[in-house]
Amino acid sequence: MVQVKNLPYITLRFKFYKKGALQYISHLDLVRTMHKIIVRAGFPLWYTEGFNPKPKLIFGAPLSIGCESDCEFLDVRLVERMNESDAIAALNQNMTEEMQVTEAYYTDGKFSDMAYLGYDFRFSLVDGTRALESIAACLEREEILIKKQGKSGKEKVMKTVNIKPQIHSAKVYADGEEICIRAILSADPASFLNPEHLVSVLKNECGILKEENLAKESYSILRTDAYKKDLSPFV
Amino acid sequence: MTSIKDLSSILKSVQKPGRYIGGEMHSIVKDKENISLRFALCFPDVYEIGMSNLGSRLLYHTLNQDPAIWCERVYAPAEDMKAQMEKHGIPLTAIESGEDVKAFDILGFSLHYELCYTTVLSMLKLAGIPLLSKDRKEDEPIILGGGPCAYNSEPMADFFDLMNIGEGEELLSDICHLYMQMKADGTYSRSAFLRRAAAEIEGVYVPSLYDVTYNEDGTIAAYTPKFPDVPKKVKKRIVKDLDKAPYPDKLVMPYIETVHDRITLEIYRGCIRGCRFCQAGMIYRPIREKSPQTLCKAAKCLFENTGYDEISLISLSTSDYSRLRELTDLLLEWTDDAHVSLSLPSLRLDSFSEELMQKISSVRTGGLTFAPEAGTQRLRDVINKNVTEEDLLRSVRIAFRGGKSSVKLYFMNGLPTETYEDIEGIAKTAKRVIDTYYELPREERPSGLGVTVSVACFVPKPFTAFQWEKQDSFESLIKKQSYLRGCITDRRIKYNYHEAKVSFIEAVLTRGDRRLAPAIAAAVEAGAYLDAWEEGFSFDRWMRAFASAGVDPAYYTTRGFGLDEVLPWDVIDCGITKQFLKREREKAYKGETTPACSEHCSGCGASALGGKTRWCK
Ligand code: SF4
Repeated sequence: MVQVKNLPYITLRFKFYKKGALQYISHLDLVRTMHKIIVRAGFPLWYTEGFNPKPKLIFGAPLSIGCESDCEFLDVRLVERMNESDAIAALNQNMTEEMQVTEAYYTDGKFSDMAYLGYDFRFSLVDGTRALESIAACLEREEILIKKQGKSGKEKVMKTVNIKPQIHSAKVYADGEEICIRAILSADPASFLNPEHLVSVLKNECGILKEENLAKESYSILRTDAYKKDLSPFV
Repeated sequence: MTSIKDLSSILKSVQKPGRYIGGEMHSIVKDKENISLRFALCFPDVYEIGMSNLGSRLLYHTLNQDPAIWCERVYAPAEDMKAQMEKHGIPLTAIESGEDVKAFDILGFSLHYELCYTTVLSMLKLAGIPLLSKDRKEDEPIILGGGPCAYNSEPMADFFDLMNIGEGEELLSDICHLYMQMKADGTYSRSAFLRRAAAEIEGVYVPSLYDVTYNEDGTIAAYTPKFPDVPKKVKKRIVKDLDKAPYPDKLVMPYIETVHDRITLEIYRGCIRGCRFCQAGMIYRPIREKSPQTLCKAAKCLFENTGYDEISLISLSTSDYSRLRELTDLLLEWTDDAHVSLSLPSLRLDSFSEELMQKISSVRTGGLTFAPEAGTQRLRDVINKNVTEEDLLRSVRIAFRGGKSSVKLYFMNGLPTETYEDIEGIAKTAKRVIDTYYELPREERPSGLGVTVSVACFVPKPFTAFQWEKQDSFESLIKKQSYLRGCITDRRIKYNYHEAKVSFIEAVLTRGDRRLAPAIAAAVEAGAYLDAWEEGFSFDRWMRAFASAGVDPAYYTTRGFGLDEVLPWDVIDCGITKQFLKREREKAYKGETTPACSEHCSGCGASALGGKTRWCK
């Protein structure tokens, strides 16, 4: 493989959404898919050195399966500057409707500056009014405990973890037939909170989304914003 | 219609929900108001497997080229998804539209492996379509099958309306056109359509249009067409000129990882070798090559439309492609700069060279596979695997020098005339591969030596020189497997083998006749599904199903078939003559080899099928 060593690069950042059925695509599969999209788009890509050169793609906070997002970030290294709107058009042509780029800009910023992520949860429940009260009570507790698989030495053990400190804020309200939660959760890699964990707390504590009600009940999670430490928008 | 919204609660509670969502880049959605025929290309295995299937990719592209046809994909839901669908009353749907396949015109199943039969029937059940052809109503879809198992699909004869014998590109289009024409002029009925298809379209086999009679000893007496215009023997359909055949310019881009997640280029069809156990080597004859120019153009176009970083050159034996060098040179002109690597699977030992090694050196996988198939030269001559141990050792030497440290060797147990000496030969061959590694100067040895010996069990397949042979009993195969384990003393050799009981069931199904249908239905009734997966397979369930249907599996396996017996697949003409196969069988027992087509045409009969071939006389 031909590889010119030590080429300088510039970083083009894309903000995109990933919605609808694409919520079922895992982060790993997204990475794989994105590699092919970027190659199809014909960008002047910067390649890693070595035996098996690859373009360098860096993603913002991973999104778990079952979660939609309006606010995903991807950094792509280029060897040559290209016009931002051309880049957006080239990418969007190579992606399906449920995933499209909304912004592109050159940056030196780091994803480690991302401290919080905002989420909208929506539940359609058989008994919404009752759920609303118990969800509110649950979110106000001093401690919100979940059971998580962890490690003790080499062995896998179930650990109980308090996720309250990872919840910056969470408000529950009714919107028509649906029960909604607006939450800002930690995005810091050391204390990242998977929004599904919040749902599983509510499942266990508030008796919602029981297996036998699956056909009637459902929920959605949408990642809406990213914030810096001081709660200013992350760009 | 089942929308993603309805499915969403379920998708959150199944493994790998990405299998079911569709909406992939380059998947084809048409306006159903402007469509005359809805075709469901059904693959009886999970998404990751089906999406990688070359034949399905070809047919999806070919059928959708016709604006009047909308061809969609259907895969078998995994066990957990199937359970959820059954629980919530969600029927089998097509990926593109999300619509119930029961409303489609034609369902075409790919029969790529005998153990997928139970999955086919389970998919029909999920779709709410009657299993037996004779029970289907006028407005229910036509169920057709194709692929390698169609060459003896007799065990599935009662379930299928129509079988495709041979290559599907032109054949399926003809079938669809007849269907549309008859619908348009008002002459369509199931029986009228099937009759005309059988009579007018080469390569169509309609099982219900034949009477099968049996002798007192249970062997088949005759296949008799019910009408004079139905062919006595159904001749295989081939594409005559592969350079002119349609080839996809785009691939549906899976969001989740599939088993062959790369560009696959089919470089030729057929095989010049004629290994006597190999069905693929016979049924895809005659050998038709594509030109390097056609291939290179297709590869470039596919790369631009997919962004894949690997191109795999596919055929039964890549190095037998007569213009391989020209092709790889053409490809390397642009693939390096595009950061695309080439992979050349199915290399033969005798042609493995330093040069080829370099061309594949960019392939990520650390390992290489070789298939000597038998442990001694004597047995390799019997099966006409014309490679020597020297070929093998030379190849592995090149591979080791080229930095590949893990080598996988494929063998078979239970081949005709096999002795314990041949089995011991497998262990010895593997040991010699290890010795070859240590004979190299230290600085030429890549680190992490690993030799894997993988041993399959011989299944006598239809349309091979060994089609009449008995299969070894599974007790005997198990004994041989443990004997071999004892022979392999070197801890650096990893030994794995196929489950003999699986090969036994495979043999029953591949050699079976129409009397097996009730047994297959009984297995499905008892829960058989995704049998091709270890988790899905149950030997005891199969044995119970055979017993309940009064089928003696030994009749199809350890009995062997008489040379003058009417075989269940005699109704099919795949081009290869019985005389040729008998000749090959005799030579096998004498330990005589047959040269490759490139050296000498042995008159197998396939040339009568026509086609732009290089070697046939
Ligand atoms: S007709 Fe001759 S050359 Fe052609 S496939 Fe048969 S044996 Fe080979």
